[in-house]
Formats: sequence, structure tokens, C-alpha cells
Amino acid sequence: MSSSASPSSSCGGGPCGACKFLRRKCVAGCIFAPYFDSEQGAAHFAAVHKVFGASNVSKLLQHVPEHKRADAVVSICFEAQARLRDPIYGCVSHIVSLQQQVVSLQTELSYVQAHLATLELPQPPPAPVTSSGSPPPLSILDLPTITPSLYELSPIFEPMSSTWTMQQQPRPFDHLFDVPSSSTIGGSSELQALARDFLHGGQIPADLPPPGTGGSAPTVVKRE
Amino acid sequence: MNPKRCAACKYLRRRCPKDCIFSPYFPPGDPDKFACIHRIYGAGNVSKMLQQLPVQTRAEAVESLSFEAKCRVEDPVYGCVGIISLLQTEIQKTQTLLARTQAEIAVAQAKHSQNPS
Repeated sequence: MSSSASPSSSCGGGPCGACKFLRRKCVAGCIFAPYFDSEQGAAHFAAVHKVFGASNVSKLLQHVPEHKRADAVVSICFEAQARLRDPIYGCVSHIVSLQQQVVSLQTELSYVQAHLATLELPQPPPAPVTSSGSPPPLSILDLPTITPSLYELSPIFEPMSSTWTMQQQPRPFDHLFDVPSSSTIGGSSELQALARDFLHGGQIPADLPPPGTGGSAPTVVKRE
Repeated sequence: MNPKRCAACKYLRRRCPKDCIFSPYFPPGDPDKFACIHRIYGAGNVSKMLQQLPVQTRAEAVESLSFEAKCRVEDPVYGCVGIISLLQTEIQKTQTLLARTQAEIAVAQAKHSQNPS
């Protein structure tokens, strides 16, 4: 999504991408103008318009504080693009894929932690001196019982509660586009550059089972 | 009005025809589902999306649209993208912990091999 770096409602340079697509006059104070420039913004707005509709997006943005609208537009574009690529599941397929990865990693972590625990067990007291001089081997009964701690999936599908606050969590797009943790996302221009990169070269699973039916781990393919 | 109208036609205050595209997926007992979808996508857009899909896939499409709409209502800024980010953060944390644990295993195994007693 290409957008101007700083929010600007000026339409002096021609209509914004949204108004260009809608073939209407771009008025001063157009709600879309800061986020859909006249060059590539029209293409991105086309996806948003097809999935959500211009008036629905306008209402959504009006209910979002102005300093959050850039993020909202990026996420809306993301969802619209995902829905056009996968008309049945949209970005739910991506969520299912990630959930499966989490479960798989948690299981692997549990087993590895159990293995580490066996290595760190204190050595048994020396056995009585025998002719061979070697200590008795550890028994399976000596291993600690570790229950794999699977990631709880049900809360994911609960409507997000107000405990998700941006003050406590990093901005979603910091991780959404695989930004290294050492980098910091400053203004919305970096966010939009990352969104641009994602939207042009994002990875979306190709062969996912329907949500809730389980199945083997999906393969992620890069789609153009 | 027909008391057997689907939730969508009830919400839209219109007659529910026999071939209503919404009725298989929006039973009258769950009015909030359509209300949420209508608020985010609009009835016309959803109708067009469903018409373009094979009939056997429409139920799944409605469920995923309903999920995304609920997420967007709950979080108008990030919608379900917030969940994606949450999951990716969890994956990164778990991968880091896994790598650390594997390194600890390597150290423990090295210690054992140096001090077999």
C-alpha cells in the first residue's frame, strides 16, 4: 500500500487513489486521501472496495482515532488482499497455519525440555562395590513426568478482549512482516513500506485444511 | 411477515425468498452473526462474494467472514491481523526458547562426555 509519509488531506495534486477509483471529486478533508495516493493507491483501494465497500471503510475509519488510521488502513488492505486471494477463508487460513506452528513448536519444546531434565538429573549414589565397578543404569522410573504444555487455542477464537492494549503489546506490524526485533518501527511511513513489501510478496499457505478440522502441517508457498 | 425469515432478511426487514442466498447460513436464532457481518462488509458485498463461490464452500466462507468481522468489531484498528501478530510473537518466543534449550542440552551432553563418572 503506497501512501504519503505524512498524513495530508491536500488534494491539490489531483484526486487520491480512492477518489480516482470511485471517479468522484476528491474534496479537502477526504478521509481516504492520506492513505491512498493517486498512483498505486487506486489499485489497493480497489481490493478494499471490493471486499468491504467504500462507505463501510469510511465509517470504520471515522470511528478510529486519527493517529491510528494508518494502521487500520494497512490491516484492512491486508484482510482485503487475503480475502481476494482466498475467497473462502481469507486470512483465517493464515491464522490456522500459525496456530498449527505454535502447537508443533510447543510440543517439540516440551520434549526437548524433558530431555534436558534427564541430562540434568543428579547422579544416583554410588552402588556397592561390585566386581565390574560400573554404576547401575538409570531406570525409566527416574524420569520426571512432564506434560506437554500445548498452546491453548480456544482463546484465539474468542473475540479479542480489551486486555489487548497497544500500551502492553508491541505494534502488530512489527512482527507481522517479520521485522527483526532490534529494529524499531517509528512513524507510519516505515509501517507502510513494510505493508507494501508484504502486499507485494506475502506468503500465504496454499493447501490448508478447513479451520477446525485439523490435518497435517500446511506448506507455505509464496504467491505473487 | 413470514416468521421463518432468516436472520439476514429479518435484519434487513425484507421478505425472505425461497432461494435466499443467506438463509442456509444465518438461521433466525442467531441475529448477531449477520449484524456483525453486515456492519463490516455490507449485505451486498457478502451476497456477491457468496454468489461467486461454489455452494459447498459457502458455509466455510460465511464462518470465516463472521470471524473476521467479529475481530474487526472488537478491534477496529487491527482486526484479526492483531491475532496473526500475537501468534507470530508466540512462534518467535517459542523458537528462541527451543534454541536455548537445545544449546543447554549440548552443554550438558558435553559435560557428561567429559565426566563420564
